[in-house]
Parts: sequence; C-alpha cells; structure tokens
Amino acid sequence: MDTSSNMKSVQNGKRRVVITGLGVVAPNGTGKEDFWNACVSGRSGIRRITRFDASPLATHIAGEIPNFNSEALGLTQEESHHIDRGTQLAVAAANLALYDSDLLNVMSEEERNNTGVFMGSAMSSVEEGEKVWISLTNRGKRAPRDLVDDIVPDRLILTYVPASAISAHHQLYGPCTGISTGCSAGADAIGQAFWTIQEGRADRMLAGGTDSAICPTGLNVFSVMRALSTRNDEPEQASRPYQHDRDGFVIAEGAGVLVLEERELALARNAHIYAELIAFVSNSNAYHMTALPEDGAPLQQLIKQALTEAQVMPEQLGYINSHGSSTSPNDAAETAAYKAVFGEQAYRIPISATKSMIGHTQGAASAIETILTALVLERQVIPPTINQVKNDVRCDLDYVPNVARHATVEVALTHSSGFGGVNSALILAQANWQNGRQI
Amino acid sequence: MVQAERRVAITGLGVVAANGIGKEAFWHATSNGVSGIKTISRFPTTDLPVSVAGEVSNFVAEEYIDRKLAARTDRMTHFALAAAREALQDARIDLAQENPQRVGAVIANTAGGVEFALEQISALHVRGPRAMSAFTSLAWLSVSNAGQISVHYGLQGYCKTLGNDTAGGLDALGMAYGAIRRGAADVIITGGCEALLEPCFLIILSHGGFCLVGNDPNAYRPFDRRAAGLLLGEGAGTCIVEEYEHAVQRGAPIYGEIIGYGQTNDAYGLRNSAVSGKQYARAMYQAMREGNIQSKDVAYFSLDGRANPAFDQSEVEALRLTFGTGFADTPTSVPRTMLGHSYAAAGTLDAITALLALQNATIPPTINTDELDPRYELNLVQNEARPLVGSVVLIGGRGVGGANVVLALKK
Repeated sequence: MDTSSNMKSVQNGKRRVVITGLGVVAPNGTGKEDFWNACVSGRSGIRRITRFDASPLATHIAGEIPNFNSEALGLTQEESHHIDRGTQLAVAAANLALYDSDLLNVMSEEERNNTGVFMGSAMSSVEEGEKVWISLTNRGKRAPRDLVDDIVPDRLILTYVPASAISAHHQLYGPCTGISTGCSAGADAIGQAFWTIQEGRADRMLAGGTDSAICPTGLNVFSVMRALSTRNDEPEQASRPYQHDRDGFVIAEGAGVLVLEERELALARNAHIYAELIAFVSNSNAYHMTALPEDGAPLQQLIKQALTEAQVMPEQLGYINSHGSSTSPNDAAETAAYKAVFGEQAYRIPISATKSMIGHTQGAASAIETILTALVLERQVIPPTINQVKNDVRCDLDYVPNVARHATVEVALTHSSGFGGVNSALILAQANWQNGRQI
Repeated sequence: MVQAERRVAITGLGVVAANGIGKEAFWHATSNGVSGIKTISRFPTTDLPVSVAGEVSNFVAEEYIDRKLAARTDRMTHFALAAAREALQDARIDLAQENPQRVGAVIANTAGGVEFALEQISALHVRGPRAMSAFTSLAWLSVSNAGQISVHYGLQGYCKTLGNDTAGGLDALGMAYGAIRRGAADVIITGGCEALLEPCFLIILSHGGFCLVGNDPNAYRPFDRRAAGLLLGEGAGTCIVEEYEHAVQRGAPIYGEIIGYGQTNDAYGLRNSAVSGKQYARAMYQAMREGNIQSKDVAYFSLDGRANPAFDQSEVEALRLTFGTGFADTPTSVPRTMLGHSYAAAGTLDAITALLALQNATIPPTINTDELDPRYELNLVQNEARPLVGSVVLIGGRGVGGANVVLALKK
C-alpha cells in the first residue's frame, strides 16, 4: 500500500468509514432493490393489520412485513422458532447486508475478531412478552403461575438480543451492544459503530436497527397517547407527513442493517462503496419526553453541529431525509428548524420523508432511512414523500411530493428524533466526494 | 495535527443497592461482607420457583422524586433518578454553571420498566384499551431512564441508552469514556439501573436457567465446587464521568480515572454457555493495553462471577491467558455475591465499589464461596476484606449472548 493512500485514509487524525453493504426488510420491500424500487415508485407498505384482531383498538392499520420467510432469508430452523420476530428481521437484514457487501462467509477469524455488531431497537420483543404474560396469568385472570410447558424461555424480552443473534449467526467477535434510544436507536447504533471504527476498536461493524411490535400492547401504548393515525379506511394514505390533516404516525415493523467498513480495507478488496459516513452527532431535547419544542430548537442545534463536524457548508447539502413521522407537532417543528438553519436555502434542498411509505419502524426507522440515503447518493435519484395533497401552511418546503426525481446529491443529511428526547443526525457523502481536497 | 488526549475522571458516585442505599451505607456493608440477598417481600413468592433475591428494601421513591413523576415512571427509573441525584451532589457539581449542551447521560438497562408495563398490559387485556395508562410507553421503554434524567436536569448534550444483558453497566461507562475522549461531551451522568424482580420475569428467567431456583439466600457462590447459578438483584449505580481538566478546574473530588476499555463477543447467541476464555482474554488485553497496565499494577480484578461452571471456568481461563505467571498474585473478588446480579446496574456498582476500594485501600470480599474449587487456583478475596495494594482495578462483566466487557480504573 503506498503512503499517499495512507494519508487519504485518515481525516482529522481519524480513520475514514464507508458503507459497503445494505440489508433491509421493510413493509414495502424486502432486500435492497425491492425496497428501492418500491420507494422510487411511491409504493406504500401500510395495510389493515392481519397479525391480530385489532378491532377493539382505535387504530387498525400498520406497516407489516408481508410473507416474511425467515428460512429463505438465511435463518436456521432453530432461529426461526426460538427467537422473536424483531430479532428474526434483524438477522435476515444482516444476512442481506453481508451478502451485499461480498463479506458473507469469507471473513477469516482475525477479520471477525475485528468485526462487531451494534443494533438499535425501541420495543424489543413486545409481541412475545405479551404472549408469555397471557399464558402465565391466563390473560390476567390470576397471579402468574409457573407453567413448565407453556413458555419458550429462549425468547428473551431484551433489547440487545438482535445484536447478539447476528453476532452468533455470523461468528463475529468484536464489540456487540444494543442501543435503545427509541426512534433514534438505529441512527445511534450506526453512529456509535462509525465512532468505533474511527477509533480503531473495530475494522468493520454491522449496524442498524429493528423492531416488531404489531400486537395489542405494541399498538395500544401509542393509541392511548393519541399518537397513532386512525385513518383506518385509507391505510396507504394514513402516513402523510406535512399534510394539514395528518393525524399521527403509523406503526410498522422492519429491520435495516448496514456494513460499515474502514475505508482502506474496503478499497483494498475492491468493495462496492455506496457512500462515506462523514459525521454523527446527537443531542437531547431536555424539554419533554416525546416532543420537540415548536421552533425545533434542539434540531437546529443538531443540524448546525452536524454540518460543522462534517465541514460541510449549507449550500453543499443536496438532500435531507427527514424524521417526518406524520405527527402534528413533529413535522412543523422540523420544518421550522430547517428554515432557521438554512434561511432561504431551505426552499432549495429536497426533503423526503420515508415514513410516508413505510410508516414508523421505530428502532429500525433511522437505519432504514440511512440505507435509503446511501442509495440516493449512489444512484442520484431522490424518492418522494407520498400522500402530498394539501400541505399544512407551515410546511411549505420542497418535500419531493409524490414523484421521484433525478438530482445531483453529493452530501446528504438524515436525522431522527426519539421518545426519550434524543435527536441524532448522520451526514453521508458520495463515495468519491473529496470536498475540495486534492485526490 | 494530533489533539492532546483528553483524560476521563469520575467525580461523583450514587448508589441504590440491596445491601445499602447511598454510597456510605453501600460501602459500609460491602466492605464488611454484608449481604443484601434475602426473601423477596414486595410480592408473594409461594407460587414462584425462586423466592430470594437482592431486593432493595425500604426504598421510598417519593424521598427522591416528586410524587407525580414517581407515579408516571417505573421503579427502574426511580432507582436511576435517586442514584443520579446522589452522584451529582457527591460530585459537588452545579449544573447551572455548566453549558447544558456539554452535559449528557448514558444509562444502561436490560428489562425496561417491567412492573409498570405488566400492570398496564393487564389493564389492556382485563379492562380494555382505554384503561391503559397514557404513560405506559414512557415508563416502560429503557430510554426513559436517561430521558427523565435529561428532562429533570435540563441536559441537552450526548444522551444514550444501551442494553447488554449484565454487561450493560460497564458498557455505559465505556461509552461515556469514549464520548468524553473524543470531545462529544464534558460531563456525563453514567450508569445502569435495573428493577426486574417481578413474578412473570422471575418465572421466565428461572426457566431459562438464567438464575437459581429455591429459597437459599446463600446459594450464589461463584467458583465454588457447588456453583449452580446466580441470584438476581436490582438497583442502580451512577458515576459522574467528567473530562479531567474540567474536573480539576472546578475543584471537583476525583475518585479516579477510566484508563482502558475492552469489548469482545463469544458469539454463542442465546445459549447459556460460554465456550472458552479466549475472547474474554482479548477484552482484558484491550483494556490493559489501552491503559498501559502491567499485571503487577492490578490491585484486584472484580470478576463477573456468574457461578455457572462453564462461565466460571472460562473466566478463569481468560485470567490465565491474560495474566500468565502473574495469575496467582492477582487478587480477585466478586462483590456481586452480596447484591445478586443486578443486570445493567451490576457493572456500574462494581466500578463504584472499585473506586471506593481504591479510596479506602480495601478489597471487598466475595461471600458464600465456602468450598472454593481448587482446580481454579484463584486468588479470591473471601468473606473478609483485604488490604488493597496498587492503583489499578480491572472490572470484568459478561452477558448472555457472549458479551465480554472489561473496564480499567486507576486511582
């Protein structure tokens, strides 16, 4: 390896990190191409719920993964029966990502010593936990009683399980942790994984998020907060960020996993590079457990910090993948934040809200959105925000309404805000973007 | 251009533990080998497979937080808020003098707000959807620990919640250490909390072989010939992790520094069996190399002590691989035997114990291991505290699934 490439491999004294594999299981598509095609054609994955009888609840719609075939996606029989659905989605997405990166089953033990897994999840295996409770208490009719045959003890109700299951499936011996910062968990897992490689604690990381909570409790905890859309008769139109009649988010299940790799290693093996990760920042609202203040102040701070850390000027930002959850407060606060940070420039940056098509996959959301952002950079096409009919007067930016478009995008921002008040942002750049440096 | 390396100090400690609430009570009990494991009293245990645990007795949430907040949060968050409050006072830090964007929180948790959640799941199924509390998701999700701390103290900086079985509390410290070193924050309220002593959970965990069954409060005995598993615990530990110069400038008490962090994985998934000490040894090596630590510097090694023969064996193997000929000279201890395994709180409580041990030049003991298995040849501090010689403590923590985490602390 010549010394000039060594100099390029370090930025601000830190190693550089690129994205070399993508794996996604989403309500509107399984696998990178299926998902991308669905998003570009504006296809929604929101339907009436089939996993349980949702009629007693206020909301009857969700983004379910239709026909999830675990064994076709590489899970063993044992994994298909003994781990919770959210973890199965995660393992499937990890398998897809490793295959996509040409690293599946080819890494040496030494390489696997230096490969870890960080996965975000907000609600873990709620569905299984609820079923266990129902067995143990006979649906609340008695105090819990020990029932030897009725429960499957392997199905643990804990948030690190996805990371653990992925590392076991692929025998990865590096750092392995679960992140559970609500709806920002995926971005946080990716960001922490990015830092881990930068700091030399690993050379490669699988990072992303997963969640599957389409069950009575999973829906109802949000219904009682009036956070969910009740547009039951028009499921595909229910997730409508920025619209004047948006009435809440739509819960969904899914998983997204990215392969992050130290840049020199990726170049040395001629890996396909989707994009480079340039910066990760996060902050906290310190205001309310579930909402941003109206002016989106913490988000303003977050975006400014991200641009500074990435050494990117606002004019260089070609695309924003927003949090766009379709709740009344979020979308307006977000827009207010963009205007405060970018001024007039805000009207010239295309913004799209993936949740308009796939709903809110919670811990997976920010990971799936990062995957989409990486594909935008690779393909120079921006998927739309669908269901754009009549905007909230406060939301008057370019949200790429309904139809995808070609665009020149060198640098992109994706951000999320989670329950618990954590806001996280990632800045990605095109694979060969040099930001004015000499090649 | 190479930035001067930022050092990471710990300036305040807060504790809610089965053998003592508050740093002083905790250290007094721990250094005297006093156990907090007893018969569970908060609910009847007659129909449950296990009736003993490290339960935190006499903890009244309203003594630490206002009634309204207490009603909207789970016990795990009560513990976290109480420990955070003590740690901040102990650190003598005035948050009004700090830039809120430079202050954050990293709190590990494994099970979430179990008690609150199951009460509400019951309400949903027994009385209907509208009977569920609107605060359920906020009380239940583990993110609410760091979340409520950040709202309560107005923290706008780096906040994270993580889960890593029983190693989470050490990972939290490792994560905070990394964040401070790279300049993402100057002060981080860091730790772990857990409140999973709940009937359904006890049934699930005992069935999975994740804890002992029965009613013997002395049954948790790692490295013993009869070792058959651990007993559970609950509680919280909080450390104020602070950039070193920042601490010096405000005249903060400095307990010690985090000087190394290692993390690897055995990758055996959900099977409750560790296969070898190889990966754990790698984590030890990472922490020691980062901290520039020789085995002779190590005052003691606080062990994971899972008391499952396969885990005990592989933990000893990891020590041998790492310490080599220095193995017999390195004191080890499992203070968790006095608390039960408090899952996400465990690693932080071990770290707090280590800092107090360094401060008091006393190694806390392991209890109940009356028949130490001679095959291990472990230099285990047993039953009574021993004088501490040295300036570095290593803390090991492992988790189901294969996590191996090692933290190095220096006085």
